[in-house]
Amino acid sequence: MDLSRPETTARNDRAPWLTLKTREMLEAWLFVSPTVIGFLIFFLGPLVAVVYFSMTEWNLLSQKATFVGLDNFNDTLFKNPDFWHVVRNSVVFAIGLVPLNMALALTLALALSRPFFGVVFFRTVFFAPVITSAIAWAIVWKFLLQGEGGVINQMLALVGITGPNWLREPNWAMAAVIVTRVIKMVGLNMILYIAALQAVPRDYEEAARLEGASRWQVFTMVIWPLLAPTTLVILVITTIGSFKVFDHIYQMTGGGPENGTLVLAFYIYQQGFKFFNVGYAAALAMIMFVIVMALTLIQVWIRRRGTQ
Amino acid sequence: MKGARTGIIASTLALCLMSGAALAQELRVTVWTGSEAHLKMLNGIAEPFIAKHPGVTVKFETVPVADYTQKLTFQVAGGNPPDAAWMMEDAAPAFENAGLLMDIGPTVKAAEGYDFADFSQPAMALWQNGETVYGIPFSTSPFMIYYNKDMFDKAGLEDPLALAAKGEWDMKKFQEVSKKLVEANPGKWAFEFKDGEGYASRMTHAVLPPIRAYGGEMWADGQCGFDKPEAVAAVQQLHDMVFKDKTIVPPGEQGDYFSGNSAMTVNQISRASKMPEAGFKWGIAPLPTGPGGEAPVIGQAALVVFEQGKNKQLAADLVAQMTTKENVAIMAQFFPPARKSVLESDAFINSNKLVPADQMKSIAAAIVNGRVHPAHEKVPQIFAAMAPKMDALWKPDANVEEALKGVCAAIQPLL
Repeated sequence: MDLSRPETTARNDRAPWLTLKTREMLEAWLFVSPTVIGFLIFFLGPLVAVVYFSMTEWNLLSQKATFVGLDNFNDTLFKNPDFWHVVRNSVVFAIGLVPLNMALALTLALALSRPFFGVVFFRTVFFAPVITSAIAWAIVWKFLLQGEGGVINQMLALVGITGPNWLREPNWAMAAVIVTRVIKMVGLNMILYIAALQAVPRDYEEAARLEGASRWQVFTMVIWPLLAPTTLVILVITTIGSFKVFDHIYQMTGGGPENGTLVLAFYIYQQGFKFFNVGYAAALAMIMFVIVMALTLIQVWIRRRGTQ
Repeated sequence: MKGARTGIIASTLALCLMSGAALAQELRVTVWTGSEAHLKMLNGIAEPFIAKHPGVTVKFETVPVADYTQKLTFQVAGGNPPDAAWMMEDAAPAFENAGLLMDIGPTVKAAEGYDFADFSQPAMALWQNGETVYGIPFSTSPFMIYYNKDMFDKAGLEDPLALAAKGEWDMKKFQEVSKKLVEANPGKWAFEFKDGEGYASRMTHAVLPPIRAYGGEMWADGQCGFDKPEAVAAVQQLHDMVFKDKTIVPPGEQGDYFSGNSAMTVNQISRASKMPEAGFKWGIAPLPTGPGGEAPVIGQAALVVFEQGKNKQLAADLVAQMTTKENVAIMAQFFPPARKSVLESDAFINSNKLVPADQMKSIAAAIVNGRVHPAHEKVPQIFAAMAPKMDALWKPDANVEEALKGVCAAIQPLL
């Protein structure tokens, strides 16, 4: 019995112009359209808009945007000394955070990748800060890092060390935000490393040990090279994340003291949402986009060269 | 037939929608309070207006105070401003200069029984430019000293209200009693800046009252005043109290007055609502005087109408209605008024169940004589330029005069 025949006829009755190929194409577009529409409205549209805004002088209160070409970029890069101070702070933050985060994440992963009694508990403890509210995290640390009355300094005093006024001295404030950020986010990278370590075949390690390799040699010559793809991913996302840090700075230091923790994302917020210089803030956002993109490409290039 | 039926349904729906739009007029008023008691009072005040204007509704929209000005700005920029709004004093100059606020002077002055002259002139200064009226203050709240009576008693000291009554509550006495308070209450502080934010978001509110008490000003007529001798002397005293006397909560420390960790703080009358749960005896007194005399400082908020609003004349009528003598008297239970007739009334002196009449009198006096924080359309930029210089000031080894010169160098180009 031919069951397909009447159905085809019915379809052709309704839309005789619809060929099979056209219909399949239409159906495919219908299936992907929610994602495509979402991408256009919420990603591509704003991205194009930011490019346009970056070439305007637009103060929200004045209600008019004047096209100024590349003036905002020129002002930022060549006439605004604050910008370079802010970039320096962002670079210092990234240089401090990325290696510390990755080293700690790898150490924790090595300790917690194999099963032992209580391993799930320890993994949960180290991952919990990742899902904790960033604002709550910062408030608690702000309290702990008080000058004389802070818990951290009181603990240091027990061993005869006079702690600094952590969040009121520019260099210490930067160190404090880096370390507290690392403690908050290290759990995510730890999980990625644990997954990668568990994917390393045990045979490789056993073979190396049979050949007389020490534990250190097994790690440096067998495991570490196999972790390289994961390391690259972690390096890229941690670097991008470090340039985008905002909530932590906003709550803990507000960019101070003496602009010592004024990083790029916070500076963009200040220009756009405090001073309402939308055009200038958009230009800064474009510059940040280029910096992050360049860093990512450099990292990928280094990785490719290493592989070759 | 099918097409005709569809047409009839569509036309009917369109007519219904159009008539609905024509009949219902909603006035949107943004406020930053989410307090049920405040909103109930505001809705009550709007009721007679709604009754007088059939088909009109009034909706008070709460926007959290932390993002209030930002969100208002984005609504304006998006072409969807509220019809009327509460506006903070620091936002007023920028909105006024951008031409976003309607002149509501003609409307309020023409309103029956309004008596515009009843508003205290210092209180109107920020909202009036010649004959143009950009807003009507609904809250004119002076900065006052809150004190912990128990801690003063423990130190065997007269409290600031008693000292003020004797005319002895000045900056010198403030420093003197602060030392004694710390001696008598170990582990506690004598004074905390407003909301513990004196080194951050309230950095100017920390230094403004003493600077004025010494006869100075932060800035005036486009000139920075931080480096003038009066301001230097005032800030030097505060600096000494923070780092030499160790009586004021220093930067990076917490010493919450409301938890009983500081004997005094500066705040506005609205914070009295926190006091019943504080668990100690307390009182409110004027700010200490100084070589420059009394220096009351007020914080203000006003009702404004947006020029781009869809129902701006109706919104102006609503503002006139909300700020009549009767309604200002009702609002005075929460928001200190700017109308002289209300300030002088017994009803106001006895309006706050938490604050005794003698303390309310000093509040009323501070409203009449108080001056707002210096205004400027670039206040956010000024604060951003000032912040790192103020951070440098609040260090134990800072040279106060040099640090304040640094503040002026940073903000003068913006003034």
